[in-house]
Amino acid sequence: MAVASEPNVEEAAPAAAGGPWRLAWRRLRRNRVALAFLGLFFLIVAFSLAAPLWADNVAHTGPNDTHTLEKLEVNGEKREVVNPSGRPIGAQWFEADGKFFLGADGRLGRDEMVRLMYGGRTSLLIGFASALITTILGTLLALLSGYYRGWTDTVISRGLDVVWAFPVVLLGISLGLTLAVGGLDIGPLHLSGSSIWIPILIIGGVMVPYVARPLRGEVLSLREKEFVEAAEAQGAGAMRVMFGELLPNLASTIIIFFTLNIANNMLLESTLSFLGVGVQPPGTSWGTMVGSGFDLISTAPQLSLIPGTMILLTVLSVNVFGDGLRDALDPRSKLRLEAHAGIAEPEGTAV
Amino acid sequence: MSAAPLLTMSDLRVSFNTQSGRVQAVDGVSLELMPGEVLAIVGESGSGKSVTAQTILGLTRSPNAEITGSAQLGGQELLSASERELQAVRGARIGMVFQDPMTSFNPVYKIGWQIAEAIRAHSGGTGKSEARERAVELLDSVGIPKAAQRVDDYPHQFSGGMRQRAMIAMALALKPEILIADEPTTALDVTVQAQILALLEQLNRERNLATILITHDLGVVAEIADRVLVMHNGVIVERGELDQIFYSPADPYTRKLLDAVVRIDSAPPLRTRRVSEPLLEVTDLVKHFPVKRGLLIDREVDRVRAVDGVSLSVRQGETLGLVGESGSGKSTLSRTILQLLSPSAGSVRFEGRELVGLSRRQMRPLRRQMQMVFQDPFASLNPRKRIGQIVGEPLRLQGEARGGELRREVQGLLERVGLSAEHYDRFPHEFSGGQRQRIGIARALALRPKLIIADEPVSALDVSIRAQILDLLSELQAEFGLTYLFVAHDIGVVRHVSDRIAVMHEGKIVEQGPADQVCERPQDAYTKTLLAAVPIPDPREARARQQALGTA
Amino acid sequence: MGRFVIRRLGGMVAVLFAVSVLTFLIFNVVPGSDPAQRMAGKNANPRLIASINEEWGFNDSLPQQYLTMMKKIFSGDVISYEGRENVDERIVEGIPATFSLCIGAAVIWMFFGILFGYLSAVRAGGLLDRVLTIVAVAGISMPIFLLGAIFLSYLTYKTEIFPSGGYVEFGESPLEWLEHLILPWTTLAILYIGFYSRVLRSSMLDVMNEDYVRTARAKGLGERRVMSRHVMRNSLIPIITLFGLDFGALIGGAILIEGIFSLNGIGQYAYESLKNFDLPPVMAIVMFGAFFVVLFNALVDIAYAWLDPRIRLGTEAR
Repeated sequence: MAVASEPNVEEAAPAAAGGPWRLAWRRLRRNRVALAFLGLFFLIVAFSLAAPLWADNVAHTGPNDTHTLEKLEVNGEKREVVNPSGRPIGAQWFEADGKFFLGADGRLGRDEMVRLMYGGRTSLLIGFASALITTILGTLLALLSGYYRGWTDTVISRGLDVVWAFPVVLLGISLGLTLAVGGLDIGPLHLSGSSIWIPILIIGGVMVPYVARPLRGEVLSLREKEFVEAAEAQGAGAMRVMFGELLPNLASTIIIFFTLNIANNMLLESTLSFLGVGVQPPGTSWGTMVGSGFDLISTAPQLSLIPGTMILLTVLSVNVFGDGLRDALDPRSKLRLEAHAGIAEPEGTAV
Repeated sequence: MSAAPLLTMSDLRVSFNTQSGRVQAVDGVSLELMPGEVLAIVGESGSGKSVTAQTILGLTRSPNAEITGSAQLGGQELLSASERELQAVRGARIGMVFQDPMTSFNPVYKIGWQIAEAIRAHSGGTGKSEARERAVELLDSVGIPKAAQRVDDYPHQFSGGMRQRAMIAMALALKPEILIADEPTTALDVTVQAQILALLEQLNRERNLATILITHDLGVVAEIADRVLVMHNGVIVERGELDQIFYSPADPYTRKLLDAVVRIDSAPPLRTRRVSEPLLEVTDLVKHFPVKRGLLIDREVDRVRAVDGVSLSVRQGETLGLVGESGSGKSTLSRTILQLLSPSAGSVRFEGRELVGLSRRQMRPLRRQMQMVFQDPFASLNPRKRIGQIVGEPLRLQGEARGGELRREVQGLLERVGLSAEHYDRFPHEFSGGQRQRIGIARALALRPKLIIADEPVSALDVSIRAQILDLLSELQAEFGLTYLFVAHDIGVVRHVSDRIAVMHEGKIVEQGPADQVCERPQDAYTKTLLAAVPIPDPREARARQQALGTA
Repeated sequence: MGRFVIRRLGGMVAVLFAVSVLTFLIFNVVPGSDPAQRMAGKNANPRLIASINEEWGFNDSLPQQYLTMMKKIFSGDVISYEGRENVDERIVEGIPATFSLCIGAAVIWMFFGILFGYLSAVRAGGLLDRVLTIVAVAGISMPIFLLGAIFLSYLTYKTEIFPSGGYVEFGESPLEWLEHLILPWTTLAILYIGFYSRVLRSSMLDVMNEDYVRTARAKGLGERRVMSRHVMRNSLIPIITLFGLDFGALIGGAILIEGIFSLNGIGQYAYESLKNFDLPPVMAIVMFGAFFVVLFNALVDIAYAWLDPRIRLGTEAR
């Protein structure tokens, strides 16, 4: 074999061994703050998933069961769940064997703790499912738009522009309002106004431009890279290029978007529910709890503060973990906490 | 003549704390700059030459950097000087010019304003109009025509060469004693490079301006340097007068560097050419890009004529070299030939078969016969795939092989290009630039094509690696009976590998013929300019040429 | 540049048209229930529904319906059946409160956002930077109503430092106007400060690594001048464009804040209408809000083009 063309041993061979994913994983493992908050998130999820267990075995009541006229037996004493002037009972902790652990939620006398746990399930489910929809739809649109360009791009981009032109909250409100009243009825799809799928679809759809637009930008710049040209020169067709070459390089961005989207979507859901156009009764979410608790803000602020704090903790832990994830996947931005257009607050966030 | 040195550097050491540990960029560098001389610091990427130069002006200071040693400017110690003191030195006593004039100017301010800013920063009382007039004078003195109007232009409105001239003007605005030029011509075309070098040489001569010239290009060194320092891995491995370094180098690294430089007038290695019928015939090929503009709807108002009627042919077994500067259309041409871009007009026949107008499906099987090697070793390999996958992809796509057989085939290819079979599972970022080019070549070779178009395959590589890759390409050509279309902007490299050469300028082929003939007896005016502009890494030849052209 | 402005404004008209069509589709055409019934709200009775059908032309063809709706909105003819009042008039009444809220908050958040972002960037990696980062992340994770609830319960109900809501005209009493707005301003600002400081930090770190900043230093410019003339000028560009978009969206979108603090602005009106499932006002407010967003989008694009000489003057090199 030719010796003259053997690679020169002196030439600097850079970087550590292992694939990009392995390297990212190692970086992530070293970030204890991010992992701590991930742990907090899992704790919150576990808390919410335990709802039926608590409801059946400890509180012996459901999230919508009212106990307005009842009395609690505590240490031989009888306490009213809701006193005649409408004031709900405060947190009992374990005094009543876990019933009304956090007290009652107002005139209706429902168990606040049970509602909190069930509410968590709803909020988390909506956040997660809608983020999934947003990410998948956004990725597809970005790929089609960025790869084909031309008319496909124009049509998709204009469509995204129109949706993007609505302040997210106003669009969410409009859709929430109209669909909550009457439900959705398209072809084989029949959803009642109180179906949980309605907020999921609304939020999932409304946030699509915030993922699709920046991803499209990345697709456009990736598309010009030589390795894409190389694939085309070998005879790769559109599908192969989009899913075999482009998508793997978008994967880190997509994962980050998905994570941060969960946080954003949960905030949006809580806003819509607070305003009454998100989750509809008999469903419960942390947002609806804050909304109904607001009427009693002067006498029983905990009814708003507790679910509100749960939202804060959940969103915070997702955001912090998301930042850590971004640092691990894209170390060039280690010193730069990015908030460039796509991963940022969508304008029109409810304020 | 023993005058005192202007600048004395002793045992400079610079290290940086990076994510992957401590990097020692400069490891004990000492030098002296005498008045009026041009001192060249030559090295490849990673040698530490730029860091050395920038440290003089304190531009590398940061919390991550550790700088020790001394740099004395006429009695003043620079390395430990305060920021205030350094500001007085920068621009006023030492001026600096950087590599890329496009990014080195602030895009939102006018050029004249930026020059005036430099002036006013040092001579506090200078009024705005006075400074502006001075800026006009400066632009004029570096050869920018219509300086009085251009002073109000923005950086993007200047061409590359003009921008670099403006940059030099700005660096010299306060008449410093020393000019540091960090790769001043690397981002420029060869013809423009020659002009800028001439300008630097003129300034050095007329104003007795001591110049430190940082470069990786030995041809540039031979053209204007008086003394040379050769740097490698953060240390100076050899220093001496220009002729001494070039004709009697002592250090093995210097020798290796000189050997690796591909000279335009060096005789290419002898090849037995089994040349026969044309494999590829391009006739009147045209590729236009429409320029759209309009009020509400885009309408085509003009065309960019990237390829404007090109005809050439490549015979089986030979290497046709295609030379052109940036903007000549050579890259567009190679992609249009491969049908990666669809031609606007003209014909491309491969083995007699017409390619223009074929559908994607029809083209697919033909793609096996023609492949491409790309320029950028970093962008041409998908960073998310293992190299075994990358090299095997064409085989998989064309249904050639699968599973274990595929793996063996790919490993064989890897070994053939000088890598090892166990590299199969590694990722691109684990390899150096030269190794990645080898991977790209293996990929192009996978389907045993007849034609390989190499688009600037060595331009992004260090000088010492280039020769290896070119040799590899030669060997493969002999072994596999390949035909090459070799595209590059460096006519020296092209000459070294080609049987025939075509020169491209503004979308057209201006000259074509056997390599020796085009290089030694050029007919076309542009070709002549191109050849005259190429810096020759041979001081005696360079002097002789300068004399002949009256520019010594 | 002139050509660019015309194109952009033309684009704006096109998007507004599309937005109005989308609004129309959402409110009138969404399948699942009868639009007239939705609009009548809780007071629905057959006679009311019939008259709504008549007035809004729900029995006409779709394009006809759209024209009817547009005509009603623009001629100020939209009536809320719940509140029995003219929607457009109510919206106009709410403008002073909404604008006071938005402009005041904007001043506060821009000031602190830029300040914190600047400090974070120049001391990147240090303790101050880390603290500010934590504050910023907490800020953007905070649900507005939680912050509002905290302020209301601890600063107004329990301790009575601030009034619990309502809006006082500036003309009536500047002091009370201020008093009533401080909490809403602060609540709003906290969210945006976090976000903007991160954006500026990121932008500045990018710019500080640019070649032209190195050139500016190499020319001998003082650090202050390098920062203000070269770094800030270029770093602020994305901030300004972002601000335009956020402010535009805020005008129509400050529903939660106004609702929580009972500021009689447009947002408050929307908040009440939502509680009552009253459609017509929401529809009008949505159009109103979207209009501002589209307007500011266009203004932002134009400002951006003006700030960048490459776009302003065209890109021909000579």
